[in-house]
Parts: sequence; structure tokens; C-alpha cells
Amino acid sequence: MATNPVPDHVPPEMVRDFSLFTSPGMSPTPNGDPHAAVACVHSGPPIFYSPLNTRDGRGTWVITRASDQRRVLQDSETFSSHRNIFASALGESWPMIPLELDPPAHGAFRSLLNPLFSPKRVAALEPAVRERAIRLIDGIAASGTSCDVMKDFAFPFTVSIFLHLLGLPDDRIDTFVGWGRDLLHGDDVKRPAAARTIVSFIDELAAARRNDLVDDFMTFIVQAQVEGRRLTKQEVRGVGVLVFVAGLDTVAAAIGFDLAYLARNLKDQELLRGEPGRIVAAAEELLRAYPTVQLIRVATKDIDFEGAPIRKGDYVSCATTIANRDPAEFECPNTVDLAREDNRHATFGYGPHRCLGSHLARREIVIGLEEWLARIPAFRIKKCTAPITSGGHVFGIENLILDWS
Amino acid sequence: MRIIVQNAKCQGHARCAAHAPHIFKLDDAGYILPGNIEVAEEEKLTASRGARSCPERALKLDLNPAARVEPDVIPPRVRRA
Repeated sequence: MATNPVPDHVPPEMVRDFSLFTSPGMSPTPNGDPHAAVACVHSGPPIFYSPLNTRDGRGTWVITRASDQRRVLQDSETFSSHRNIFASALGESWPMIPLELDPPAHGAFRSLLNPLFSPKRVAALEPAVRERAIRLIDGIAASGTSCDVMKDFAFPFTVSIFLHLLGLPDDRIDTFVGWGRDLLHGDDVKRPAAARTIVSFIDELAAARRNDLVDDFMTFIVQAQVEGRRLTKQEVRGVGVLVFVAGLDTVAAAIGFDLAYLARNLKDQELLRGEPGRIVAAAEELLRAYPTVQLIRVATKDIDFEGAPIRKGDYVSCATTIANRDPAEFECPNTVDLAREDNRHATFGYGPHRCLGSHLARREIVIGLEEWLARIPAFRIKKCTAPITSGGHVFGIENLILDWS
Repeated sequence: MRIIVQNAKCQGHARCAAHAPHIFKLDDAGYILPGNIEVAEEEKLTASRGARSCPERALKLDLNPAARVEPDVIPPRVRRA
């Protein structure tokens, strides 16, 4: 891992010993709470410089306040998304689309994809999503009084819905989840290997759909037009890789963190089981308390931001995990209040890159909690087991052994 | 009451419509339709909750639009509850 020295323009007093990768609680930790661990930055300044805050060992400015993150993420002219984060792992340079494009180019692709993930489209998917949840949970309930939620429910549930959406077969779930795990949480060897495997897979899938049109996502993409022309092969790859990777990990992690919270807070668990009408608002609060991603922008020009001399090319980190614990935005941010009102959390980001899959993610989480609570009696974390959590670019939870014996 | 819709700031979170789909209408992509929204007296509470739910702050409450003089804008008719 390369480490960069702090650039000369960063005042030494603005450098802080904080990193989403190396600070306490960020490495895989049994019974960890990485969200609480990052909340400590709110006792410090609203912006500071972290010398090692990306997967490849680069420094970033860290924006802690939700209102400042809004300002950064809504201003794509000053703060660009053009980073080629996936391709750079392969020593290449092409954007994931639309994630790593800036307006106005971003808009054409976003308009193409928005209707596929709109609230209306997601509502139409609901019966299939619910059926899948019920089938999995009924299987778990029938086979005993304990399970690993991640392996037995969260991953198979979220990834199968998503594979269905992409028109991919369920029987390779474990393979795909493994690729996602290596890519998002793997080391310097596993990560580029997984990236290469995923690119080949998407390229081959696109080629197959070009030859043989079927009714699925990749067929739509290879046939789609932006600005009156077909997408180039590189653009098809950029869209395919993004949509594939985005569905593999984050929703499963959210369901894991949520059920871990409920396993440790039996009163809240009982409340939601008794009054399932509260689950929609509760899921929103759990989204606030346990978001997963860090959003990074690159400054396109020199700008003084809240006293920080940001210079062209600097990385600026807006971690949703930090914004959602901002006491200026949320009363008692470190308390989970399942009835919280005006819950305008940053979990799906702000600005033009608002998570394309947000509506699907929300439905999956709500349905997952509803069906789990309706079918599994009072559950706790199994004795002598500990969920392992981690920080980093994408927060995660590896295992969650629940027991309801 | 009127809700001022700042379309350019809408990013399709659709939280407003989740609170009150009959007040906040979305297009097929899931973004709010253009135009300010006149709110009936009995819908004030739901509408303001919906407006306050916007993560982008794209919706503004105008509590007493009829009483204000706005040059070049025809004052909207006050709806009777």
C-alpha cells in the first residue's frame, strides 16, 4: 500500500490521526461498532485532513457535517466524481457509469437508468421480493432455531432479487457474492483479481446479449441509445460493472446491521414485531444509524472551504457514516430512535449521484424486516458467537449468528 | 399554504411522495413534477411533513402566500378548506 506524504498546502494543524481504514474499530472486530467509532470525529473540527483515507493509501479531506457534505455533493462543478476507482485497480482508466461521470454527461445515462429503478418500478417488484423473503425465512424457521443471517438470509435474499433484475441465474449466487466480497473487502491481491473477473464476466455477458437478445437488463443496455447513438463497448462495461457491483453487498450489510441491532435491543424488537406498521419508519432510522459507504470527490479547482485550503486534485471524503452522526443535523445522533421524525439522512448520498438503487434497497430492507419479525420469534445473538464488523470504504458485517431457541 | 418546488435541486429521493403521494407527484423517473404546489388547509400537516423530508432541501414551505405581494406573480387563489 502506497502512502502519500501530506501535501505542502495542507496546514499541519489541520491534519488528524483519523482514517476509515486504520482508526480503532475499523479493522475486522468481533462485536465491533464501526459507526460509533467514526462518530467521534464530531468532537473535532468540521473539516480536517486524513493522510491515509482511501483503499490505495491516499490522503483526503474529511467533511464531517451533513450540511457541508450536501454542499460538496450538490456542487459537481467544483467536486468531480471522475475517479475511475474500479478501473484504476486494474491499472486502466474508464468510468463506472453513471457513478463516475459528471453532469452534463452523467444526465444522459442517469435518465436512461432512472425508470428501471423508479419507485413505480420497485412497487411492481414488491410481490416477487416478498415471496423470496418468505421462502428463505420459512426454510430457516423449519430447519432449526439458529442461523447465520448473512449466509442464510441477507446475501441470498438481496443478491437473488438483484440477479433476477439483471436476468442472471440464481445458481451462481455464491460465486458472485465471493467476487463482491473480494472486491469490496479483499486485500491488494484479491481486489484486482476480483475486478478482472467481474470485467470479463460483464464483457462476455454483453457480447452474448448482442448476439442473442433476451428480455433482461444487459440486453436493454446493449440496445439502448444516449444522445441518438448506441453505447460504446466501454460504456456498456461501465454501466454493467457498476450495476453488478452495487447490488452485491450494501443491502445485505444493511439487513445484517439492522438485525444485529434488534438482536441486542429486545424491546425494540418486540415493539416492531407487535406493531409492524412501525417498520417503515424504523427501517429509515436504521438506514440512518448504519449506512455503509464513503463518497469521494476530486476538487476541480482551488477552493477555500470552511477554512480549509482545498487545492485542485485533492480528494474530498463525504462519508455517509459520518454525516448521519452529525449532532447539528440529528438530535442525539448516536441513539437509535425508531420513531425519529424528519429523518433526512445521507445514506443514499446527496446531489445528482443519489443512489440509483435507493428505492429498491429500501423496499428490500422493509420487506426483509417485516417477514423476519413475522416468522422468527424473539432472537438474540447466539452465545459464544460474535458478529465481525469492519470499517473502510464500505462498512460491513461478516457473520451474524442468531438464536431463538 | 404553498410548497415551492425547486426542481433543479430534486434528485429523486422520493421521500416527499412516500409521505404524501397525492400531494407530491413524481414523473416516470421518480423526480418531482415541476410547478409549485397549493396545499388545502386540511392537508397542511401531511404536506409540511413531506416537504421537510427532502434530503436535498428542494421543497420550501410558503405558509401565507396569498398575503404576500409578489411582483410579476399573480397571487394564487386562496383555497377554502
